[in-house]
Parts: sequence; structure tokens; C-alpha cells
Amino acid sequence: MNDNFWQGGFTLLDGALGTMVQALDLPRSARPELLALTHPQALMDIHRAYVQAGSQVIYANTFGCNGKKLAGTGHTAAEVVSASVAAARAAAGERARVALDIGPLGELLEPLGSLTFERAYDLFREVVEAGVQAGADLIVIETMTDLYEAKAALLAAKEHSGLPVFVTLSFEEGGRTFTGCCVESMAKTLEGLGADAIGFNCSLGPDKMTALVETLAGATALPIIAKPNAGLPDPLDGHYPMGPEEFAAALAELVKRGATIVGGCCGTTPDYIALVRETLSGMPPVSRQVAPVSRVCTPTRCLELDGVRVIGERINPTGKKRLQQALREGDLDYILDLAVRQEDAGADILDVNVGCPGVDEVELLPKVVKKLQSAVSLPLQLDSADPAALEAALRVYNGKPAVNSVNGDPASLAAVLPLVKKYGGAVVGLCLDENGLPQTAEERLAIARRILDAALAQGIPREDVWIDCLTMTVSAQQSQAVETLAAVRGVREELGLQTVLGVSNISFGLPQRPLVNQTFLTAALADGLTLPILDPNRAEMMDAIHAFRVLSGEDEGCGAYVERFAQAAPAAPAPDSGAGEEFTLAQAILKGRRGEAGRLAQEALERMEPLALVEGELIPALDRAGEEYEAGRLYLPQLLSAAQAAQSVFEAVAAQMERTGGAPVKKGALAVATVRGDIHDIGKNIAKTVMENYGYQVLDLGRDVPPETVAEEAERQGLKLVGLSALMTTTLPAMAETVRLLKALPTPPAVFVAGAVVTEDYARSIGADYYAKDAKDSARIAREVLG
Amino acid sequence: MKLAVDEALRYLGVKGRPDEALAQTVAQVAQTLTGQITPRYTYRVFRLERAPAGVRLAGTDVVLPGATAEKMLSGCDQAALLACTLGARFDQLLRSTQARDMAQAVILDACGSAWVESGCDQAEDEIAARFPGQYLTDRFSPGYGDLPLTLQSALCALLDTPRRLGLVVTESALLDPVKSVTALVGVSPTPQPARVRGCAVCPLRGSCTFSKGGQRCER
Repeated sequence: MNDNFWQGGFTLLDGALGTMVQALDLPRSARPELLALTHPQALMDIHRAYVQAGSQVIYANTFGCNGKKLAGTGHTAAEVVSASVAAARAAAGERARVALDIGPLGELLEPLGSLTFERAYDLFREVVEAGVQAGADLIVIETMTDLYEAKAALLAAKEHSGLPVFVTLSFEEGGRTFTGCCVESMAKTLEGLGADAIGFNCSLGPDKMTALVETLAGATALPIIAKPNAGLPDPLDGHYPMGPEEFAAALAELVKRGATIVGGCCGTTPDYIALVRETLSGMPPVSRQVAPVSRVCTPTRCLELDGVRVIGERINPTGKKRLQQALREGDLDYILDLAVRQEDAGADILDVNVGCPGVDEVELLPKVVKKLQSAVSLPLQLDSADPAALEAALRVYNGKPAVNSVNGDPASLAAVLPLVKKYGGAVVGLCLDENGLPQTAEERLAIARRILDAALAQGIPREDVWIDCLTMTVSAQQSQAVETLAAVRGVREELGLQTVLGVSNISFGLPQRPLVNQTFLTAALADGLTLPILDPNRAEMMDAIHAFRVLSGEDEGCGAYVERFAQAAPAAPAPDSGAGEEFTLAQAILKGRRGEAGRLAQEALERMEPLALVEGELIPALDRAGEEYEAGRLYLPQLLSAAQAAQSVFEAVAAQMERTGGAPVKKGALAVATVRGDIHDIGKNIAKTVMENYGYQVLDLGRDVPPETVAEEAERQGLKLVGLSALMTTTLPAMAETVRLLKALPTPPAVFVAGAVVTEDYARSIGADYYAKDAKDSARIAREVLG
Repeated sequence: MKLAVDEALRYLGVKGRPDEALAQTVAQVAQTLTGQITPRYTYRVFRLERAPAGVRLAGTDVVLPGATAEKMLSGCDQAALLACTLGARFDQLLRSTQARDMAQAVILDACGSAWVESGCDQAEDEIAARFPGQYLTDRFSPGYGDLPLTLQSALCALLDTPRRLGLVVTESALLDPVKSVTALVGVSPTPQPARVRGCAVCPLRGSCTFSKGGQRCER
């Protein structure tokens, strides 16, 4: 029965199961997930009623059947799925198809919650395998509000079944899911991962879904599903306001906008479905032509490539010692900082390359991707020469990324393109092959054609192929600059593809490099470069981009250009500029003037030793801020501003050390963690900020950290001090357990504990050495223990 | 709905008049927050039944045990159960802000706490409007008095918060996203005295951030 039944014509789904179950008035103890085991006949009756009403697909009662939700029921997912699919099958006979229904796991995935992507995938895989075993005809993933969770489920479905997969998300009327996912991002991501039909279910009535369906119809060529509620329930009695007539009429409007697979969610019954069938019988499906558009995305941001888009180049360790060190030490905060600075400077996409000696890219690249996606909303370009690292990162990326890169070498095409196809990304094709980099534009264009053909043959759409014609250093190979530009022109004009070019290398070995870079960028843009890779923190490069967008007409009305330079005008000094005021370094720190503090530190370093600056000026200033805070004259945000101003002093000191080759000023290391079960980590992060700015090296173990992990890290790193935080009474036992394990180590570290419900007495009772009443206090403890 | 900036300042530990610059920054952060995120809430009204183990929400398995629930709902024949959240997008915003500026993040965190309370106030107003001529008790939540935090999961299940609000309860009974509240409000035919807001009934007495700093959380 697995022909492409959902294509061409309409497919009628079923209505609500839960609403029907409620009407049965079963005992309160009955678990809805277990109905197939406890009340199989009642369940079959409901399914049968939908089949009789005309449903061509019925959803088995497996929405909540996963290992997580069934824990404690004494039943496995396999057992319940098997019985539920069997009940649906018995009711469906030959008249309808049976869908394995997969709902959310009931816990938020990382980075919002602490359920890992990998664990979610495993839970879904178990359900998928059981559904296949039980003979389901298709898989429906529904009611998802987190695109990441939908991806985990879809990946599990594709990798462990050959069944068609439908995916529907629940949106709010404003056009976003609870986690902020927009319609276009949902479309691009699920389409890329190989969903067979996508759309919306639950949360809204059909009358509120029209704009969503319209947007989706413009964003995907896949069949569109609409399975809305019978309106919004009344809070007082849970009654759904929309009757069958009103529902069917509103659903017909969705059909006119392109939905072809329709049914009902909460509040609907077989009466609704029967009426929908009647309504649809007189309507032809709408045929749609969807214009292909190049897009990459994260859940919250779908970037359309319809002009010049800047790819930030900073996360690439080639020639960058500090980044190499951060990568080797796993200092992901440093990498995140590089990312946010580029985002704030106007990058549209961030290239992410973590390849350097001493680093396992397969392990690190996905970690970095997760870290960046926790705080940056820009789409990423996953950059590695190792296909295994690319695959590891593609798996965990949330959205649709770009992949950098493939080249014309058949081995490269064979290794990379299948990954791009499977996970749904855009791909950068480098104009070189097994014979190296060709010298002429025409030869590069020939490789570009080859790459495009291979991608198309693999099923990757044309708009997802980006070509990099490769920049050569002009001082070394002067004739190459014009060849590169000619190749860009060719790719744009002949193939109509997006063009990528790293522009910063052009000027290597020349004086006034920014001038050469900017000039080359401008020339390349004029020749059709759409995706320059550059450092967005360089004002002259972003200036050129903004100017070009004016000339090309992309910046309509010149608004963005005017705004950029209006902000830079001296008439309105930034609050940090300290214009007109003279500060000492200590005052600048105390007032939280970051820029000023950094500048003053640089000046001071011309006449004093770094260590003297830190010990003689920085630390006393921070202490002073701490005292003011204690006395209630400064508040927490101001204390943190002071700490952040101190950070810019440290940066100046570190830069000086690097120049002079001196040993870095570091005061000793400690680890901090928010204990297992606790997700409130801002207190820990505040303490970390303050201690770091006193010069301590703080290893951040994160939140929801198991006691064993804390103990292992403390032992492995030989730490003398560990800080723990917990916010809620329910997580205090985990804190006690962590202290117990730490104190059982051969050389136990000193432990301090903190958090809203922690007290001095409690700290003592669980064997902690210190109680930190606030972030300032944790710096005092660090000084006492580490010096 | 309006975010009470003075509340946010109080969460930051500010006593009395704050300095002008800080107050201004907090007001700016509050404005950005309220422009981007609206609290979402849902509620249901239950008749109350007295059971040996406590007060039962009629038609459900949920019993509110202990002295706090008994006292709070003593004159009531019904109660509204409400949940309010700023949602995952606040957590995203907070994480993103922490990566940029910790001082700003602390302010955002405080504004978030004030904002979710505004959401609860709005929900309460809506509930009050549904019961003309009747009186509401103070709002109280799991964690107040002896009403256990472990009730969170059952309360959220009754409100179907994962689907309605994107609000889930972790295994350690924490609400996730972090700026979320569940609360009960009793409905009574007779006027209700203020009973809940006070250190006397609070389990955090002596250990909460306010009392550590010699303050109280009551308005």
C-alpha cells in the first residue's frame, strides 16, 4: 500500500483521538497511552468511526508511546506501539492506512532543556523500529514545537524505516512555534531531511491557520498538511467552540491555499471529518508553482540569498594561535565570543572550521556547532576537509546549514555530496580537482559545471550549489586576480549559481592590506560575487558591502546605508566612549567603562609590568567594586560591568604578553557546575564572570551536571577548588551527592556551594568547605584557596 | 500588560531610589523584552472536594496536600489553576545576552521575573472577570508553605501545558522554560483576607535572596 498515495488529489486524515477518549468516561486511572492494552475495543471503535467517516489515514494511538513517557508503567514502547498499531489496523482493514504517530517527548531538548539530541534520537528510533515491526504504513511526526526535536524524530524515521514520513509542527498565530521556529525554516529543514509532506497541526483553529498555509505554500513544493483544532478551548470548561460546519468551511479555505492532506486535531470528531469529506468532494486541489530560492537557516532565522550576504571568516584557526589554543583546551566560550562579535558586526552566515593539530574534528565540530547555536541565531557554514567531521556536525545542526566544501575531484564528490543530500544543506564547490587549481577562468568554470552536474545527479537542487572560484595571493600570482574575477562572472552569468569567495588572502605580503582587500571585494561584487567570506569586524569591508548594496539597488531607499553611518556620526557618542570625561584606570573599571579601561590599560602597559598592573591596579579596583557592592552602593549589574571592564584590561595584558613572550598572568584553576537536575545556571555564570575577571581560570562544566562528571573532572584536572550551584530544594540532594563524591577523591578539592535556597548551615551539613552568598563572595573564596 | 520596572529593580537588590543610570538601563531592557516576548498563560477552574489527604481538584486525581492549601482555600468551593510562561524564546534571549554582556543579562533576568508575574496578574484579572460578585484568594504556588514542588508535573498535565504553552516539567520538578509559574487562586463567595505573601508562610524564610539581604519579597 506504499504507493505515493498522498500525491495528487486530497488525502483525508482522521480527527482527534483524545477528544473521543475523554467522551468514553473511562476511569481516571486509565492512561491514554495504554488504551490498546487496557481498552482495545473502545480504541478500535474510535478508529472505526473515523474510517467510516472517510479517513484515508488513521493515526494509531502512539502519540505518547516513547521510553520516556512510558517509564514506570511497566510497559515498553515496543509493546505498546505493537498493540496500538494492531488496534488501528484491525479497524482500518483495507479501507485506510495506519500511521505510526510520534509526538514530542515531553522534555525540552538542549540547549533549551537538558535532553540531548542524541538521547532524543535514540528514544525516537525505538518507537520507529517498533512501528515498522508492527506494520505501520507511514510515520507521522506531529505537534512538534521544537524544530530540533522534529529533526531528531525525522532522522530516526528515515534511518530506521523505508516508510513515508509526514511532519507537522504546532504554530502560534504570530507565525512562530513556542521555540521561535518560523515557517520558512521549518520548510527548508524538513524538506532537506527528506520529509514527504509537511504542515501544521493542533494549537489553532483552521480560521487562524490561513496565513501559515499561505507562507508554507510559497516556501515548499512538498504536499501541505493541515490538521487544526476545532478552535481554541474555553479555559473554564475545556469546550472547543467550532462546530463541524464552521470547521469544514474554514478548512476549505486552507485547501484553496494549497493544503492537500487534511484532518482535525483537538476537539474534532468523526462528524467533522465526514463533513470535511463532503466539502472537499466538490473542490479541485490547488496546483502550485514554487520558485526555487537559495536559503540556509536556523529555526529562528531563514536567510534568503537574494543579494550580497556576508560569511564571517573568524572561526578558522589557520594562523591564529589564540584560537588554536582555545580549540585544544575546549574553551568553547572563546569561540562563542568570536561568533557573537561577528553576528553583531553584521555577518549573515558564520563559517566554522576547527581543524588544527591536536584536535579531533569529528568530536569537536559538532560540540562547537551546538555551543554556537545556543546563543547565535545565524546560519552556519560547516567547514572541514574531513567528511566524518562534516557528517557529525550535519547531524546535530539545527536548521539548514551550508557545507564547506566539495571539489571537482571524483573522490571528494563521492564523499561529500551524499552527506549534503541526506542532511539537506547547501554546498560550497571549490573550483579545483585532483589535478590542482587550474590557471584559467574557463577551466575553473568547467569544474564548476562538473560539480553542479554531480550535485544535480545526487538530487541536490541547483539553488543549493554555491561555487568558490578561489582567491590567490596577488603578490605571488598577479595574473590570477583577473582570472578569479572572470570565473566569478562566468559562474554567475552562465550557471546562475551563488558565488563564494574568501577575499582576505588576496593582499597577503602587501602593505595597506585593507585597501587591497576592499578594492578586490568591490571588484568581485561588481562581477557577481554574492557570498564574500571576510572579517565583518573590519569596518572598511562592511562599509564596502553597505555601499555596494546601495549601488545594486538591494538597499532600497538607502536606509541601511544611512543608518550605518548615522550611528557612526560623532554627534551621538556611545555611552562607553567617555567623551569629555577623564578617568583613571581604577575609575574606568569601577564605572564599567569597557573601552576606556582597555585603552588606559594599554597606556599603562607602556610604563609598567603586566603583573604590576594586574596586582597594583586591576585587583584593587575590583576589590573596591566588591566593597561598594557589599555596602549596597553598587548593584549586581554594576558589579558585573566592573568585572567586564576588568576583562578588557586582561585582554590588553594578554596581548602585551603575547608580544613580549612573557608567561600569561593566570591565577589558578577551578571548576564550576550547576548540579544535576538543575537548569537555572545564571547564578553560576555570574560567579564565573566575576572570578574570571580576577584572573582565575574557570572551567565551566555547565548545568544539569551529574555528580560523577564533576568528580571525574576535578580529579582529572587536579583541581583545588570546585564551586556548585543549585536553585531549587528539589536539586539540593544532587548537590550533597556531588560534595560527597568530591570529598571521597584521593586529594579532595575545597568545595564551595551557592544558590537561592542554600545557606551557611546547609553548606556545612553536606560537608562543603565554603558557602558563597553571592558572586563577589566566590571571588573571595577563590582568593583564599588559590591565592 | 505592563512590566513593573520597580519590581525588576527590587529583584536586582535595589533598595530605595536606584541611581539614575541603572534605572534607565533597566527601563530600556524592560522595553526591549516586552517588545519581543509576551507572557502566555492558560488556566482551568475546578470545583474543590475535601479529601482526607487534602483538597482535591474535582474530576481529577490531583490532591493538594498540607496546611497551606487547606488554609488558602478554606472558604472556597472552586479554584483556578493557572500556568504562565515567557517561553523558550526568553531562555534563548537570555543565553544570547549572557554571551555578550553579563551585566545586561542579569538585568534581563530580573525583568523576565517581573514580566512573568505581570502575565499571572493578567490571567488573574481574566479569571476574576469570569466570577462577578465572587472573591479571589491570593495566588499561591507549589513551593509556598508546605505545598510541594513535586505537584508541578500533575498540575502542568491538567493544563496540558506542553501543548498549550510549550511548558514542561523536568524530572527534578523544575519548570522549563525557566521563567514560568504555576499557581492556584481560590474562588469564594465571601471576601478573602490576604494570606500568602509573607515570610511567615514561606519555606524559603531565612534562605531566600531577599531575606538574606534583609529584605522581603512582598509588595
